[in-house]
Amino acid sequence: MENTVIETSGLTKRFGGSVLAVDSVSMSVRRGEVYGFLGPNGAGKTTTLRMLVGLIRPTSGSAVVAGHAPGDPAGLAKIGSLVEAPGFYPYLSGRENLKVVADYAGVTHKRVDAVLDTVELTSRAGRKFGTYSTGMKQRLGVAAALLKDPELLILDEPTSGLDPQGMAEMRRLIRDLGQGDRTVLLSSHLLGEVEAICDRVGVIRGGKLVTQSTVQELLGEEGVLVRAQPADRAEELLTRMFGASAVSRSNGSIHLKTEPARSVEINRQLMASGIEVSELRPFERSLEEAFFQLTGEKQGS
Amino acid sequence: MIASIKAEWRKNRFRPAFLIAAGIIAAVVALLYSVEFYQATHHTSAADASLLALYPDQFVNNVMGAGFPLGAAMALVLGALAAGSEYGWGTMKTVLTQRPGRLTTLAGRVIAFQAWMGILTLIIFGVGAGYSVVIVSIEGHAIVLPAAIDIAKGVGAMWLVLSVSGSLGMALGVLFRQSAAALGVGLIYVTVLQIVLVRFINAFNNGSYKWIANLFDGQNASALLQSFTSPVYGRAVAPAIGAEQAVLVLVAYLAFFLIASAAPLRQRDVT
Repeated sequence: MENTVIETSGLTKRFGGSVLAVDSVSMSVRRGEVYGFLGPNGAGKTTTLRMLVGLIRPTSGSAVVAGHAPGDPAGLAKIGSLVEAPGFYPYLSGRENLKVVADYAGVTHKRVDAVLDTVELTSRAGRKFGTYSTGMKQRLGVAAALLKDPELLILDEPTSGLDPQGMAEMRRLIRDLGQGDRTVLLSSHLLGEVEAICDRVGVIRGGKLVTQSTVQELLGEEGVLVRAQPADRAEELLTRMFGASAVSRSNGSIHLKTEPARSVEINRQLMASGIEVSELRPFERSLEEAFFQLTGEKQGS
Repeated sequence: MIASIKAEWRKNRFRPAFLIAAGIIAAVVALLYSVEFYQATHHTSAADASLLALYPDQFVNNVMGAGFPLGAAMALVLGALAAGSEYGWGTMKTVLTQRPGRLTTLAGRVIAFQAWMGILTLIIFGVGAGYSVVIVSIEGHAIVLPAAIDIAKGVGAMWLVLSVSGSLGMALGVLFRQSAAALGVGLIYVTVLQIVLVRFINAFNNGSYKWIANLFDGQNASALLQSFTSPVYGRAVAPAIGAEQAVLVLVAYLAFFLIASAAPLRQRDVT
């Protein structure tokens, strides 16, 4: 069994000759992992996913998805996807919509009740899709993606439009779905969501894949945060100890690029110099910080 | 293919547009029969001949009037809705990310749609036959139905006319990727543009380009349906287009519209 479920090489999509939506994306998603595809709005996430499921054709480059070319019926049989907003027939009930999808997918109708149960939509499955709330529509979309019991699940911003409770439920569901051998490719611009759910992350910006790594690798360097008075003297001392490149100051606190194990030594030196230490703790760069650094976006903008 | 047909049938059998169209076409045929029956029983001149045309043996000829332009326009609307609304609802991407390929999906859609055109045709014929039986019973005459082959020919002709227009609607729905524009352009073509063009071509240069006008789908649909005109109306004027030629031209249009649906669906991105 192949260890890679999605492998793209130089995948590029240009619309109308001028708009470069996806620029030479080479990514690989391993079997059994939950892969977060992270990027700001308009970065090219949805366009990439559409290419992976064969809805749009790449201008150049190639992709192998579930062992087949994108859009190949044999490959589609192994893939469940929810790309952008869920699309269903408004005059049919949720259950009837799933039966239609099951017919297309060649799946027995027995699966319909099973997936409705999985997304906890059984009690409302008889209502027309047109009357569904955003959360119910999203859940029906996930249910449809699960009908084939797919080995690869592609979800494009599945928590989009959900209230906080709905988002939490959806994250829990995705985490559950990612257990075992099933591979989940989750596109999102919500950092907390990706950090909470994903094993590995690909960050896309302006159509380019700027990094691909585990969440831990992306969070990167460990460090120590120090709050002390007087701050200038503390910064001076720490710069002498660790070098200027390891010390930075923001919002009244000093960040040290060093191992947290050296906290005791740092504390002792500061105290010995008559500097009062109010806070000394290890810190990790948040995914948010890493994301903004990688995408060049300004935090809080 | 079977999976696609099943799915298309499942989603269309409860589709309000199809059910409403079936109701409207049945009501229109019943209304036409009612008006003709009223006229036939309340006017002295040629009343007997008119009444004879409403008897069961003439019902095939009598219902053909519902085929064009009304039936054709309705088929076009249904075709445009069947193809165009898939884009508007975002269901196209749901469908195309399931197992069947694009052309298999389209083939299933076309077959299910043509089955609906067959149902509309049978409704037209069923209501016509039923009404004519009621009329002849009221008049106290024996029920004599047309020969089975004549009924089959009529059903085939009506189905072909509806299928061609419905396929035009489908092609426009795929081309415009929405139903509104497809409906607008299609209805203007069927009810206005085509008629104006045919008149212009027929009048141009003393009618020397009439053969071009005779290639329009509407001309051929009318000619095919009029070929069933009842002899009880008197001697029929020989149509400019023969029934056989009309059938060939309409089949060619049907094939062209199906290809016009398949080519963009196969090639274009679904965004």
